[in-house]
Amino acid sequence: MLGIIAAIIDGVLIGSVYGLAALGLTLIWGVMEVINLTHGAAIVAGMFGLYLLANAVHIPPYATLPLILIGGFLVGIVLYWISVHRLMGRPPLMILLSTFAVNLVVIGLGTAAWGTDLFNVPVSLPSVTWGRYTFSGTHILAAALTTAIAGALYLFLYHTKLGKAVRAVANNREAAELAGIPTTRVLSLSFGLGVALAGAAGMLIATMFPFTVLSGDAYQLKSFVVTALGGLGNPAGALVGGIALGLIEGFAGQFMPVSWTLVIEFVLFVAVLIIFPRGIFAFRRA
Amino acid sequence: MNDALLEVEELSAGYGEVQVVWGLSFAAARSKLTTLVGANGAGKTTTLRTVVGTISPWSGRVRFKGEDVTRLSAHAKAARGLVLVPEGRQLFTNMTVDENLEMGAFTGRGAHGYATRLERVFTLFPRLKERRKQKAGTFSGGEQQMLAIARALMTDPEVLIIDELSLGLAPLFVYQLFGTLKALKEDGLTVLLVEQNVHLALAVSDYAYVIAEGRLFTEGRPAALAAMPEIRRAYLGL
Ligand SMILES: Nc1ncnc2c1ncn2[C@@H]1O[C@H](COP(=O)(O)OP(=O)(O)O)[C@@H](O)[C@H]1O
Ligand SMILES: [Mg+2]
Repeated sequence: MLGIIAAIIDGVLIGSVYGLAALGLTLIWGVMEVINLTHGAAIVAGMFGLYLLANAVHIPPYATLPLILIGGFLVGIVLYWISVHRLMGRPPLMILLSTFAVNLVVIGLGTAAWGTDLFNVPVSLPSVTWGRYTFSGTHILAAALTTAIAGALYLFLYHTKLGKAVRAVANNREAAELAGIPTTRVLSLSFGLGVALAGAAGMLIATMFPFTVLSGDAYQLKSFVVTALGGLGNPAGALVGGIALGLIEGFAGQFMPVSWTLVIEFVLFVAVLIIFPRGIFAFRRA
Repeated sequence: MNDALLEVEELSAGYGEVQVVWGLSFAAARSKLTTLVGANGAGKTTTLRTVVGTISPWSGRVRFKGEDVTRLSAHAKAARGLVLVPEGRQLFTNMTVDENLEMGAFTGRGAHGYATRLERVFTLFPRLKERRKQKAGTFSGGEQQMLAIARALMTDPEVLIIDELSLGLAPLFVYQLFGTLKALKEDGLTVLLVEQNVHLALAVSDYAYVIAEGRLFTEGRPAALAAMPEIRRAYLGL
């Protein structure tokens, strides 16, 4: 019994990071109705960003987070112009294919550079003991940083003029353009934000678990499951969905081998899509 | 017309292969209320969207304050003071009244003197002031039209273009809105209005253009138009 409660709390901590990754996916969808299939590559890039900056440049692991956020933002803006901009307004499949193509290129280059070996970034943080439970310091800090990033995103979207412009473009792009908002630039900025969030999530995951160049697929699938749970395009739903997924993983991990996690997630994904096509936690969109 | 703030010359536009607007020319004179009237489907909305740049013209020219702005994007035109209140209001329905107005003032032009303009807009539309924190999507048609006009005023327009001011609104509302436009015009605003209601358009405007099937049918002062037998028959049902 004790084990289960600890596993569930730990699942919530990890799940919040899944929520952060899904936030990146859902933000881009919410603003421009594009499914970004470079999402997995962005997560992996965040993992390797941590690895390179911490191991090669010797930057303290958590100090890489702002760098990865900024780098992800800039790369995301470039990706928007390369793989999305000219296909806006065309059949949605075309953007799926173009972002998927970029994903393949990035993963291909990564595989060429690092192979598919398992990497591990040693992050030494004291664990926290609470009564009879012990929690990993990296998991707690990852959840705390996720909360901080999500909070900053909320403040940006609801309390800055530029953030409100992002919401205006999401709400009615033509009206935003007529109001004098440079909508194309806002779209590229939103794509940059989405990629930055995915990269940050990748970095935080890499402080907790080992990873390979190919880890992106599994975490991209998790993001899809989370958005299925939370409703695509719904930021609050992404966080709640992420926590729900982490909780399910933590709980299931008590009864079956970890290798079953992906199976459970995929079944969950399909089941949720069939039973609750708009998401279980799909609150009315703000 | 030398006091024309907005001049449209030989404008042609359409969708895909289908041409809708055929070499249309018209102008909006400074501090006057100009209307484009015409039946449903005549191409009025297409014309306005081409003028402000949400769709590209096939040919022709748009001049604003003497400058060729034909190829500028819609947001750049708004930033210069050429502002459209689109058909169907097109509010930010998920956002509050305050946020809608703030977005209207997104450009440097709108941001300059924001507080004063906000007060002015709330004086014109006190109802909006009572509901500043309410989401625009919860509003009635008349309130939405008020907010759409208020949002456009926050951009500090030189030419305010309104597509179908009266559509779907109660007569009392329409009457009020025209009163507001008249006051704005007296303060120097140039207004270009599209109306399906020809009676109304001729009653309020200084100059009118009648559009039929994407072409200019005739133009003139309202009194002169109202006297023309073809107009009386086709548009006024007389
Ligand atoms: N987005 C569009 N795509 C294709 N055809 C359109 C579109 N919008 C309008 N049309 C066509 O263009 C013509 C003129 O429409 P519109 O400009 O809306 O006229 P009005 O505003 O005078 O009622 C109509 O025949 C209409 O069917
Ligand atoms: Mg129309």
